[in-house]
Amino acid sequence: MPVIGDGFRRELEARGISRREFVGFCAGVAAILGLPKSAVAQVARALETKPKPTLVWLELQDCAGCTESFLRASKPSAADVILDLLSVDYHETLMAAAGHRAEAALADVVAKKPGEYIAVVEGSIPTGNGYCTVGGRSAQQIVDDVCSHAAAVIAVGTCAAFGGLPAAAPNPTGGRSVGDAVPGIRKLVNMPACPVNGENLAALVTYYLTYGKWPALDHLHRPLFAYGKSIHDACERRAHFDAGQYVEAWGDAGHRAGFCLYKMGCKGPATFHNCPNVGWNEHTSWPVGCGHPCIGCAEPAFWDRMTPFYEHLAGVPGFGVGTSIDRVGAWATAAVAGTFTAHALVQLTRRKLAETAAKKQRAAESSAAPPQPQPKDKQP
Amino acid sequence: MTRIVVDPVTRIEGHLRIEASVVDGCVSDAWSSSTMFRGIELILQGRDPRDAWAFCQRICGVCTTVHAIASIRAVEDAIGAVPPPNARVLRNLVMAAQAVQDHVIHFYHLHALDWVDVVSALKADPAETSQLAMSISDWHDSSAKYFKGVQARLQAFVDRGQLGPFGNAYWGHPAYKLPPAANLMAVAHYLAALDWQREFIKLHAILGGKNPHLQSFLVGGMATPIDPDSQAALNADTIGALRGLVAGARDFVNQVYIPDLLAIASFYKDWAGYGAGVGNYLVYGEYPLTDEPHAPKFLPAGVIRGRDLAHVEAFDPEKITEQVTHSWYTYSEGDKAALHPSHGQTNPKYTGPTPPYEFLDTNAKYSWLKSPRYDGQAMEVGPLARMLVAYGSGHARVRELVDGALAKLGVGPEVLFSTLGRVAARGLETELLAEKMGDWVDELAANMGRGELRIHDNDKWDPSSWPKFAHGAGFHEAPRGSLGHWVRIADGKIENYQCVVPSTWNAGPRDALGAPGPYEAALVGTPVADPEQPLEILRTVHSFDPCMACGVH
Amino acid sequence: MVAEAQAPLERYYVWDVVVRVTHWAIALSIWLLAATGIYIGHPFLAGAFTMGWAKVIHFYTAIVFTLAVFARVVWMFLGPRRSSWRNFVPASKRRWRDLVATIKFYLLLRLEPPRTIGHNPLAGASYLAVFGMYAVMIVTGLAMYSVSDYTWLRGCQVLLPVLHGVQGARWLHHATMWLLLMFFVAHVFFSMLTSRNEKNGELDSIFSGYKFLPKGQPPDDE
Ligand code: HEM
Ligand code: HEM
Ligand code: NFV
Ligand code: SF4
Ligand code: SF4
Ligand code: F3S
Ligand SMILES: [Mg+2]
Repeated sequence: MPVIGDGFRRELEARGISRREFVGFCAGVAAILGLPKSAVAQVARALETKPKPTLVWLELQDCAGCTESFLRASKPSAADVILDLLSVDYHETLMAAAGHRAEAALADVVAKKPGEYIAVVEGSIPTGNGYCTVGGRSAQQIVDDVCSHAAAVIAVGTCAAFGGLPAAAPNPTGGRSVGDAVPGIRKLVNMPACPVNGENLAALVTYYLTYGKWPALDHLHRPLFAYGKSIHDACERRAHFDAGQYVEAWGDAGHRAGFCLYKMGCKGPATFHNCPNVGWNEHTSWPVGCGHPCIGCAEPAFWDRMTPFYEHLAGVPGFGVGTSIDRVGAWATAAVAGTFTAHALVQLTRRKLAETAAKKQRAAESSAAPPQPQPKDKQP
Repeated sequence: MTRIVVDPVTRIEGHLRIEASVVDGCVSDAWSSSTMFRGIELILQGRDPRDAWAFCQRICGVCTTVHAIASIRAVEDAIGAVPPPNARVLRNLVMAAQAVQDHVIHFYHLHALDWVDVVSALKADPAETSQLAMSISDWHDSSAKYFKGVQARLQAFVDRGQLGPFGNAYWGHPAYKLPPAANLMAVAHYLAALDWQREFIKLHAILGGKNPHLQSFLVGGMATPIDPDSQAALNADTIGALRGLVAGARDFVNQVYIPDLLAIASFYKDWAGYGAGVGNYLVYGEYPLTDEPHAPKFLPAGVIRGRDLAHVEAFDPEKITEQVTHSWYTYSEGDKAALHPSHGQTNPKYTGPTPPYEFLDTNAKYSWLKSPRYDGQAMEVGPLARMLVAYGSGHARVRELVDGALAKLGVGPEVLFSTLGRVAARGLETELLAEKMGDWVDELAANMGRGELRIHDNDKWDPSSWPKFAHGAGFHEAPRGSLGHWVRIADGKIENYQCVVPSTWNAGPRDALGAPGPYEAALVGTPVADPEQPLEILRTVHSFDPCMACGVH
Repeated sequence: MVAEAQAPLERYYVWDVVVRVTHWAIALSIWLLAATGIYIGHPFLAGAFTMGWAKVIHFYTAIVFTLAVFARVVWMFLGPRRSSWRNFVPASKRRWRDLVATIKFYLLLRLEPPRTIGHNPLAGASYLAVFGMYAVMIVTGLAMYSVSDYTWLRGCQVLLPVLHGVQGARWLHHATMWLLLMFFVAHVFFSMLTSRNEKNGELDSIFSGYKFLPKGQPPDDE
């Protein structure tokens, strides 16, 4: 494998990038990764000297939003990744070759570099026949071939990581995540969100190039550096949440003042992602920052679990729109109270009637015989 | 006769497969198929109509925003929500930015490599490239030093022996006509555009929180509060940022995109003779200029049949139907039926070959795309249709732009009906919109200034304010053409949802009568020098800017 | 309350101090948890740190609740006969018979309940369900809590996929709260009803520990 070393330095010079600017860039990368200042030199060394690993990017049941998001990455940028950091040998949206020649490029990587290349997967994998084919091969055949021979598989976006939109109820095509479709992947890294944040993907690549290994993952194979905290715990509107200051209607005074979006259905408390920290489009903004609730786009099955997006909680199955669990619960509790009140009244009336009857009987009997204590359980 | 298959068609969004028969170095017949289905129309059933936009938006991440817009418009139409003026202005800005950015990315990153030979750029003299660049534009990055730097980067890249996405391509193909200097200029701008798009699209992040998949849409308005006296709302600071981004876009489009387009086109004038296609053009119209229900639009709606620019018919949504004769769906009325989308159906049933396969049976069903028809006819939609309809309707600025470009190339309006015309129309539309965006920023600023801060129609937010049964349609001009969503709502939930999408119009298969769709028609007559390297097929297909995730959904 | 009983009564010590203390710790904490919990779900009053306080109170009360539940469960296995788990699980034949009899009584098919002095078997079985609800509240609560925890409790995040994420946990937390509140309504009604019907000091017993039966009529479950 060729080494970046000389070429890389030459390029930097050609691009008029000084050593100082380069180190500044590396510091930015280190910051994304949450690395200490001392690691900046290590990042720089890694970028300069490590060989250029091969990457193939598969698009299956996707919308190309994750690809587009990758094009928005800045540290490093897509151009940096494609030209300098990795050899992106297959990416349908970007590659020049088409048809047989494109497929040959993919086949080449699998045949010549088994166990060495990185496979990125965007989109879910359908189980039904014919729902997704490329070059006449089914998505399942492609991932079986490509992912099982990859050194690592990066599932970008919620579709690839968790099934995402195609797998939303009723999942018409039997869409599945890569992890579910190809058991036994050597190293699976899930990068959910819809789309994946290009900056996080860039950081993942840099992490790998810097340390030669993959970052720490959680129980859902997500890197802790991007999915270790809930949106809510890093949200700039959190002080308003704690203070009980909420947006009540779109465009109201609270909305204009940047109050918390909790009552408009914000799913920030239920979502692990780093949007508040890293932001989107080079820190320009992020969904909650611009005034709309988080819809939980990085969570498994968020199309089913986080909807209705503008309600705090899902409704109760079988009840109409707008029937929250709390409304149903409150009515049910009232119904129980009503039932028992009625029950008690019936009981009391019946007992009263029985007692009156007994009294009458006793009165009738007392004229004939002396009174005797009545055992209760003998009553009718 | 050779049967050639291009699958995957790359540098597009999604999974497109072209099969063509080639006779004497020329395409004699072609079939367009999309090979991926998700079933989003089915997934939408039973859900809260206010959530639909987010689902629809994920139909496509390239033309992100467009399905969100069509969706909120359809639901608003159904429930009678009326977005306030600010929402219209914000939406216009978001839509125009989408079109501008999408068109630039299409030109440089999806289409350019059909015309530009990257390897030839290595042979260029940077000084000559610099001269060329300065002769056509005032763009600041035009020095010999700059082009030398780009060439060095390219050389270093090639030297490493790993060509990545540029490997296995058609470099050196006889159909490449640009001189090395022009190739180097285009490669430099390929990289420049990659940086530019990242910067410009911050406009979407400001107005939508993120791009792709903005998150500020609401049924009844927009979710970005406006308040010149708040630090947590769109304010004067935002206006400044928007002005800067719009000015930057105008500069890039006028000084890089348009000059490059005209320079490249001047070497490929023969492509004005290929790729015309069906010759019928459909436009729903876009960019409402006022707030009443049938507001005048900046780009007018209309229908042109048989390339007759002199007669622009009025657009009538009732004339739209979709057929599935050659698509992997069934209709309960029988597969030859033509259904209006307001009672359309999506019943997937794959009957194609079992993968892995070599050829489709194009006599039977062969695509996941349906075949939309207007008044029974196939229609081309997109920038070319929009420019033609505007031109035919007497849109002054469009006439000025189109006539100007034709004059520069020294050709007449008949060249518009072609592959080259499609590419040119996209560039002119970009110029038009980049220019127009400034007006909407000013309108937003003016609204703010007179205390008009409303962003949403709160009255129709709660489902209890809706009728028990409702139906509506939402129309939009997306970058690739006319987009419509139709929704039926019962008891506050979506009962049926149908999308008829630009790429469904353009890439759809044959209809019940066997009439081809626009791609299929446009490919007939395309020369193919080497069936192993179907570069010319890519040129015509790419000129439509295919998006299959959209087309099928 | 039992003063109007005509027959002389006998006093039975049924609820030991652990049962009574945990009962009231649980009952009171549920009230506080439900009140703060409903506020957390539907914050209605804006004011200084109201949500913050609601959460703080919810979490401290949750500790009391969890410890009390834990103590009561341990006591089911260590405590005296009346507190045993056997009173909840309708495992023996006679508890089944009494269970059916009690249901008949409540369905107005039978005027008198079987004469028991510990929990009546239906109450016992419903308490079993209630303990199940406690468990659901604790598990879903811990799962939600784990999101923002950075101690060993963070490990509870593995519960999230099983519960369908935080939103799933949240939904279950709400639904189960309403089941508990429904139980509470039924429970208090039954306690008052039984106390009145049987004149056995039912209602007071959970304060004092004693119940009463007419002399010479020992309970069937003695
Ligand atoms: C019977 C007892 C309990 C009741 C009735 C109760 C009720 C509630 C309710 C109604 C909510 C609001 C949920 C929402 O909509 O966000 C809530 C939240 C919560 N509860 Fe409980 N809860 C109980 C016990 C517990 C326990 C034992 C824990 C254990 C740790 C716990 C932890 C939490 C947490 C972490 C939240 C989420 C707070 C937030 O979202 O910020 N709860 N509870
Ligand atoms: C949310 C509130 C409450 C809950 C969850 C609750 C739950 C329980 C449980 C689980 C038991 C079984 C005791 C054990 O063996 O540990 C019990 C017994 C009892 N509770 Fe409650 N309780 C609540 C409130 C009350 C209140 C307010 C009263 C009185 C007005 C009450 C009166 C009783 C009585 C009388 C018993 C003994 C019943 C028997 O003989 O079976 N409880 N309760
Ligand atoms: N065709 C299409 Fe789109 C566009 N423009 C959608 O409506 O690209 Ni994805
Ligand atoms: S995760 Fe979202 S953005 Fe990515 S492919 Fe799926 S739908 Fe598109
Ligand atoms: S806006 Fe959402 S994430 Fe932010 S504090 Fe409020 S609820 Fe939490
Ligand atoms: S919706 Fe997604 S982008 Fe971030 S703020 Fe929420 S996780
Ligand atoms: Mg459709």
